[in-house]
Amino acid sequence: MTQDDLTIADPKMRAEGVNVFYGDKQAINDVSIDVGTDLVTAFIGPSGCGKSTFLRSLNRMNDTVASAKVTGRIELDGEDIYAPSMDVVQLRARVGMVFQKPNPFPKSIYDNVGYGPRIHGLAPSKADLDVIVERALVRAGLWDEVKDRLLESGTALSGGQQQRLCIARAIAVDPEVILMDEPCSALDPIATAKIEELIHELRGKFAIVIVTHNMQQAARVSQRTAFFHLGTLVEYGKTTDIFTNPKQERTKDYITGRYG
Amino acid sequence: MNKPTNPTDWKGAAMQKRIAGRYAAERRFKFIGLGAVLLSGAFLAFLLFVMVGNGARGFTYTNVAVPIDFKAMPLTIEKARLSDADADQVIASAGLADIVDFAADEALGDGGSALISENAWKEVRSAIKDDPALLDGKTVFELPTASAVDMAAKDGAAGALGAQVDALEKDGKLSTGIHWPFFKSADATDPAVAGIWGALKGSLLTIFIAFLIAFPTGVLAALYLEEYAAKNRWTDLIEVSINNLAAVPSIIFGLLALAVFINWFGICQASPLVGGLTLALMTMPVIVIASRNAIKSVPPSIRDAALGVGASPVQVVFHHVLPLALPGILTGTIIGMARALGETAPLLLIGMRAFIGDVPSGICSPSTVLPMQIFLWSDEVDRGFVEKTSAAIIVLLVVLLSMNAFAIYLRNKFEQRW
Amino acid sequence: MTFNAAALLLLIAGLALIGWIAGRQRSNLVAGRAGTKLHSRPQYHGWYVALWLFAPAALFLAVWSSVSPGLITNEVLANEAAQSLPSFGFERGAILSDARSVALGKQDAVRLPAAAPLVQPYADAAYKYAWIGIAAMLALALAGGLYAFTRIKPDFRARTRVERTVMAFLLLASLVAILTTFGIVLSLLFESIRFFQLVSPMELLFGTNWAPQSGAPVDDTFGGIPLFWGTVLIGAIIAMIVAIPIGMMTAVYLTQYAAPVVRRWVKPILEILAGVPTVVYGYFAALTVAPALREFAVMLGIPNASTESALAAGIVMGVMIIPFVSSMADDSINAVPQAMRDGSLALGATPNETIRQVLIPAALPGVMGGILLAVSRAIGETMIVVMAAGLSANLTANPFASVTTVTAQIVKLLTGDQEFDSAKTLAAFALGLVLFVVTLLLNIAALRIVKKYREAYE
Ligand SMILES: Nc1ncnc2c1ncn2[C@@H]1O[C@H](COP(=O)(O)OP(=O)(O)OP(=O)(O)O)[C@@H](O)[C@H]1O
Ligand SMILES: [Mg+2]
Repeated sequence: MTQDDLTIADPKMRAEGVNVFYGDKQAINDVSIDVGTDLVTAFIGPSGCGKSTFLRSLNRMNDTVASAKVTGRIELDGEDIYAPSMDVVQLRARVGMVFQKPNPFPKSIYDNVGYGPRIHGLAPSKADLDVIVERALVRAGLWDEVKDRLLESGTALSGGQQQRLCIARAIAVDPEVILMDEPCSALDPIATAKIEELIHELRGKFAIVIVTHNMQQAARVSQRTAFFHLGTLVEYGKTTDIFTNPKQERTKDYITGRYG
Repeated sequence: MNKPTNPTDWKGAAMQKRIAGRYAAERRFKFIGLGAVLLSGAFLAFLLFVMVGNGARGFTYTNVAVPIDFKAMPLTIEKARLSDADADQVIASAGLADIVDFAADEALGDGGSALISENAWKEVRSAIKDDPALLDGKTVFELPTASAVDMAAKDGAAGALGAQVDALEKDGKLSTGIHWPFFKSADATDPAVAGIWGALKGSLLTIFIAFLIAFPTGVLAALYLEEYAAKNRWTDLIEVSINNLAAVPSIIFGLLALAVFINWFGICQASPLVGGLTLALMTMPVIVIASRNAIKSVPPSIRDAALGVGASPVQVVFHHVLPLALPGILTGTIIGMARALGETAPLLLIGMRAFIGDVPSGICSPSTVLPMQIFLWSDEVDRGFVEKTSAAIIVLLVVLLSMNAFAIYLRNKFEQRW
Repeated sequence: MTFNAAALLLLIAGLALIGWIAGRQRSNLVAGRAGTKLHSRPQYHGWYVALWLFAPAALFLAVWSSVSPGLITNEVLANEAAQSLPSFGFERGAILSDARSVALGKQDAVRLPAAAPLVQPYADAAYKYAWIGIAAMLALALAGGLYAFTRIKPDFRARTRVERTVMAFLLLASLVAILTTFGIVLSLLFESIRFFQLVSPMELLFGTNWAPQSGAPVDDTFGGIPLFWGTVLIGAIIAMIVAIPIGMMTAVYLTQYAAPVVRRWVKPILEILAGVPTVVYGYFAALTVAPALREFAVMLGIPNASTESALAAGIVMGVMIIPFVSSMADDSINAVPQAMRDGSLALGATPNETIRQVLIPAALPGVMGGILLAVSRAIGETMIVVMAAGLSANLTANPFASVTTVTAQIVKLLTGDQEFDSAKTLAAFALGLVLFVVTLLLNIAALRIVKKYREAYE
């Protein structure tokens, strides 16, 4: 795998020789990858190949699984995130996450978005919080739809709106990286289009990593694509290259739909 | 709205301090949680500790050695009559009690007869009945002391009694042994001869009746609801009844039993029969709910397979579903029965709190139950009953815990994953 | 000769066994003779005969054993010797039962002289009705058995019939629950109505003086407020103050923090705590907790400190309820989807922030339902309050004072004299009705909430 054409000068995150185990079972095998600051990176690969596992090790959500163990080195701005000095609470604030199924809290829309800033103490006053909530909702493209019903429950929104609410929730703490694990797989095409549009707009403000099963989506939203298979990183490169001119046979088979 | 966002300063002192505070809160919270768990455990430990601490002594009793010389004080009685049915009366009217009292006075000094239990002579009586030859000579009997003496020997006491007991102890006349009457006899006013066997037997009879009624009824009802019942308003009514009955306070069942079983049907009051009926009504909903869960967990594939080879719906249920669900049903039943065994409140209302000095002979004879015996003894003023109460509690807890342990064993042994 | 239902039941069971064998034999026989196959296997024919033999006779036996004592008594009362009986009350009942005991051989001699002339009539009547009953029962059994026996033919659908009967049994068994519910409602209502003819419901529900006495005028002595207050103070306030925080925190710790090993050990311990009989808790409260609390109160200089205190009963009741609250909370917290927890943690919340601000609010409906059930349990609990809370009806907010509860008073009212019609006994049923209605409402509300909540996360 040649790296020259995609060496990222100042990667936001860098993984080196990462292995992830669930008990005795190895789910990720020696993966090294750079995530660019201004780029959208897509992870693709057949089901069970370890995309989610790898994504979750980027903000240490794997810590919540008792049997999971991560080895190797993962850096955020050059700092080892598994080092004892790294505080996981801050790490997760800096590396936000959006899940496959929209999971708004059973609270009002306002409180959903305000939750992160409140716990991290980012808003000294109510007025500050109002500003933060509004900005996050605006950025998530949800403001116009919900500005009149901020006190309604977040669970009362439609699926697509819920997912954008979750993105707003993640944005509200002003993260540096946003990890999205199949954010559109539970949504209809129109809602999906809205999220993709949103990803376009957010690009450049945050480093974005997105896991997707949808080849077209990966091609549409990302600049870099990583193809995983059976826990290994098979190929990583510019999205255009991967989809038009894959170097590996397995990648080619996968994107042409021969298996997976 | 478009003011540029300066990135949050995560490394700043204020933020670091805040984070430290949050972690401290986290540790506090976790500590409180652990504290709650430990507190629950401590309650249990303390309760068991108090009961065992008080009760262990209740299993023993202090005896005093009293030699009785029947040659000097003959019991005028024909030996042939000792095997008669009315031997007890014959011996009593021959004045054995006086002889024993006299012997005690002689052996233990003035007032010695007050040191032995007023029922001590009955021990002598049964010894004589076992071995009439005793009447021809002098024998040293280990007689139960009066309750106060027993207490003084165990705890120490001040005053005249304390001195007397100390003296006896020094002479080596006192001995401590397992208190057999505790396991063999029924309630009595004298701690020296009061026992739990009457209550325990009452409990066993009562539970037996309750089981005989509640188990088949509960299982059949569960089978009906789970396997056959159509979804209609009747079925809903049955389900609502069962769920509510399971949560109705137990004393309400006592009121029901009093009004229906005793005042209306006139079933023998205070008997294991009426107690068992009451507890059966109380336990049945529990059995139904447990049985339904067990039946539900039998996979439909087994029913389909049986139906497929031409079994009728009734055969499917009785030949295939029921045997597979049985371990779960039994587990639920044992737990329900254990609960019934510890129940007191409804039985208070149907007369089972009366003083019963005899071991019950049948399901219709007046009787009490173990938890009720505990309740009755807990009200006794005589200090000797305090440790008897705790000892009875230990027995009850041992029975209940072994039932529960057996249920858990069954559950683990037969737990099946389909 | 007496009417021994158990022995007779055994007798017809034996007859049924014979019927079973005979039915089986005959079905084989008729099939062989006709040279065809039976529709149902032989044992179903056997069961068919046995059922016809057993069921009508057993039913008759049940009816007869409940009505015949009444018939016997009527017959005895019609006798001349009974004319001299006192016309009413306790004495009359005692004489009759004395005579009955002697007549039935349970007792060697009469204790009341007035009973002596009744013994012979009693024995005669008992003898007569026993024979009538036995004869009728046997006739029914034989008729049923014969009827079934003659119906055995190769194409007779015995299995269908038997299975239909089995279904009827299943249905009957499940009706017992409804019957019990109706029994409770009717018996409570019936006695309560009689009570309310003596004392107005308003008085019971809102009166503030509770001092029922035998034979005393009933005015102003059946005010239930002190009882209701005592019940609420102990069961809904003190016990919950103990049980809710400890139970909730136990559940939180076990579900969120504890290692699986710890969970495996702590859960059975909680089950033991739940399995300790209430009389043991009551004894513990009265023997250990109450005296300690009294000393404490005296030390603080609190007036009216009593060895029977609301606090002692309430605390111990709270301990008893802990496992219940914790298992309900455990279930509710576990029912909150994992995604909710992940969502919060992924924002950088600490576990305790996640628990307090996301999980518990999300689990709240389920927890509330559980708490309602716990309250319903606490206010229906009897032994602890009987043994530790006392019987004096005080309307006080001082937890160190003695208060009484509905359940304790029910016990008190029904365990004194056994005169069944006095206002005191009837009052127990009226209190029982109040208790039943309140716990029923609590249970229904709780089950509704919990069910709704379950659906929300499905
Ligand atoms: N909590 C866990 N415990 C044990 N094994 C796990 C756990 N989570 C995932 N795995 C295993 O790790 C491997 C990778 O799983 P992962 O969820 O990362 O795959 P994925 O690529 O995200 O699949 P999908 O596209 O279906 O989401 C799988 O074999 C899976 O079974
Ligand atoms: Mg995945």
